[in-house]
Amino acid sequence: MKKNKKSTTLAASVIRGIVTALVLFSLLVSVIGFIWFAESLKSEYAKSTYRMADTAATLIDGDNLLKYVNEGIDEQYHEVKEKLGIFCRKIYVTMIYVIVVDTSDYGRFQSFYNTVYNEVDNTDYDEWEPGHKRDTTNDDYRMKYKAIYEGKSDYETVYRLHITDGKKQHITTLVPVKNSSGEVVGILCMQRPVSSLRNQMLQFLSTIVFIALILSAVTAIIVTKRNKKNFVAPIQKIAEETVRFSSGDMIAGKLGEISHVEEIRNLANSIDKMEEDMIHYIENLTSVTAEKERIGAELDIAKTIQENSIPNIFPAFPERNDFDIFASMTPAKEVGGDFYNFFLVDDDHLALVIADVSGKGVPAALFMMVTNIIISDRTHMGGTPAEILAFTNKNICEHNKADMFVTVWLGILELSTGKMIAANAGHDDPAICRKDGSFEIVKNKRGLVIGAMDGVVYKDFEIQLNKGDKFFLYTDGLPEATNADEKMITIDGMLKILNCHKEKSPMEILNGINESVKQFVGDASQFDDLTMLCVEYKDEECNNILTLDATVENLRRVLSFVDDLLEKNDCPMKTQMQIDLSVEEIYVNIANYAYGEGVGKAEISFENNNGEITITFRDSGTPYNPLDKADPDITLSAEERDIGGLGIFMTKKNMDRVSYEYKDGQNVLTMKKHL
Amino acid sequence: MQITKEKNGNALTISVSGRVDTVTAPELEKFINENIDGVTDLVLDLKEMNYTSSAGLRIILKTQKLMNKQGVMKIVNVQSDVMEVFEMTGFVDIMTIE
Repeated sequence: MKKNKKSTTLAASVIRGIVTALVLFSLLVSVIGFIWFAESLKSEYAKSTYRMADTAATLIDGDNLLKYVNEGIDEQYHEVKEKLGIFCRKIYVTMIYVIVVDTSDYGRFQSFYNTVYNEVDNTDYDEWEPGHKRDTTNDDYRMKYKAIYEGKSDYETVYRLHITDGKKQHITTLVPVKNSSGEVVGILCMQRPVSSLRNQMLQFLSTIVFIALILSAVTAIIVTKRNKKNFVAPIQKIAEETVRFSSGDMIAGKLGEISHVEEIRNLANSIDKMEEDMIHYIENLTSVTAEKERIGAELDIAKTIQENSIPNIFPAFPERNDFDIFASMTPAKEVGGDFYNFFLVDDDHLALVIADVSGKGVPAALFMMVTNIIISDRTHMGGTPAEILAFTNKNICEHNKADMFVTVWLGILELSTGKMIAANAGHDDPAICRKDGSFEIVKNKRGLVIGAMDGVVYKDFEIQLNKGDKFFLYTDGLPEATNADEKMITIDGMLKILNCHKEKSPMEILNGINESVKQFVGDASQFDDLTMLCVEYKDEECNNILTLDATVENLRRVLSFVDDLLEKNDCPMKTQMQIDLSVEEIYVNIANYAYGEGVGKAEISFENNNGEITITFRDSGTPYNPLDKADPDITLSAEERDIGGLGIFMTKKNMDRVSYEYKDGQNVLTMKKHL
Repeated sequence: MQITKEKNGNALTISVSGRVDTVTAPELEKFINENIDGVTDLVLDLKEMNYTSSAGLRIILKTQKLMNKQGVMKIVNVQSDVMEVFEMTGFVDIMTIE
């Protein structure tokens, strides 16, 4: 994990950067200066030592030196040594010594003069006796001895600056000692301490570092001050302003011309503008949101108005046994341009309308309302569908400023004969399912859409419905429902779905289709309104059998089914109430318990055999005989009595006979009662 | 089904009209539950009630049990068909019906 860097301010980081750069720079300058100074000082020191050594060498007689090698020292030796000692002290060096080197390999030498002045550098050298023999200390000396003897250089310097054997740092300068004929016969070595040299160097180093640091500090302060004025202070101001603004204090502050640096000035100006813009946008957004909410609320009301402008309570005609009708409308937006309508023109004529307005949303919904009203009003006035559509077209065209149009399929079914007169203004052909057959498209003459052109003439055509036939109307939202892969249901697909449900009631067929469409479309959004209408022209025989979802909500349907039949059979009021009560108890029992938490079917059939009514309930739920339950003890006091268990008991009491059997996977409960 | 009430101190009269069946009974139960607190003298006026199934009987019995604890309950103006149901189920023996 990345470590969070410690938060810092702009000013601090700028100062830190400047100071670091200056310190590094001054250190670099100091080091380079020091190296240069040290080298020149060293060379100057060596040169001055050489001059001193050269002067000392004049004290030595080269001829005598050779003599001493062979014959030993004499009086004059002591005199010279004395002078050498004085010289050594005067010029303040540690040691002066004169050696004669074995020139065969320069590996050994013999010392003659040796004078030591230990006080110079607090050393503890001993003076060598004349003729003292020693091996050459190292190769450096050997090379230099050789160079002197061979006359290749006037002097040589040996630097002993890194000494580890406890001796003091020093330099030793070697100069030749020549005899009268000018040959090199020995070497005078002068050892001089470097402590003063080192002290000078240290002094130089400390001075230069001190000056560099002072200069750095002064520069840093000046640069920082300038930076602070030009960069840091304006940026701090900008930062404060943005913090203030973003913390919710939504008032546009003015930074203005806070710096003469172009980039910073631009930044400040941009922030000023951004704040103003943002306040403006927020105000705008607030009003837009409020407006949107208002429109949303209005759309909700519009949706309710639209939904209630067409029949939407089912069963729509519970008193009618000769037909069953169900319709559904699912707009793609809040309100839609599709609509269906159906109504009884008179006791024998059922008008069926389905229509699809071009476009969607509010304009389509307004157009739909107008069209629906004109059609239904005109239908109630009488006339054939072709006349009604022509009238509607004329009226729409007169006021159609928006150039919208609507496809309409209008049929009027004569319930006593099954003869349906219809006309089509550009709408999809309906589907029909003959009794014991399958759904198929009925093709008929199709006229121009309504609203396109004034004066259009429509043609009536006839469709004969027979008992048990089902008739299905839809809008293109069904066959053209599209899934995420851009595949459509198509007319063939629609017929397939229809035929899966063809045995069922109109309501169940439409619910089944809606379910299938939902599955097919999946996550794709509904693009078009989806509207369907299905009417079943009912077989008389079927009128004695009711099949429905066994739910408590359907109780009223069951009771009205039974009541209708009882009334037709001239059942006395009192008996009707007793039968109603029994039917309710048995049906509610099935609805509540037969299928557990789920929903299944219940079938109720009605028979009248010479005044004996037989009502049979069938369900495919859990096998259960409600008659097995013991009767409640009705002699107990209120406190002792169980709240439930009265329903079956009353059924037994009210009916002449009640029997139960489990047959073909069904619970079959039969109740009989003489009228 | 329609329900009205008339409250007079700790006395409450609830009038029920229409059908009390499995669909409407929960509404009656809710109504009684909401109004029964502190009532010591309850009158159920069933003058306009022309139908009750066991769902309605269940609520009447439940209310009777409750009123036995906190006061008295009386059922008045029972229609003859409904009365038959009360007789059949023994309600006439455990309730005050006038």
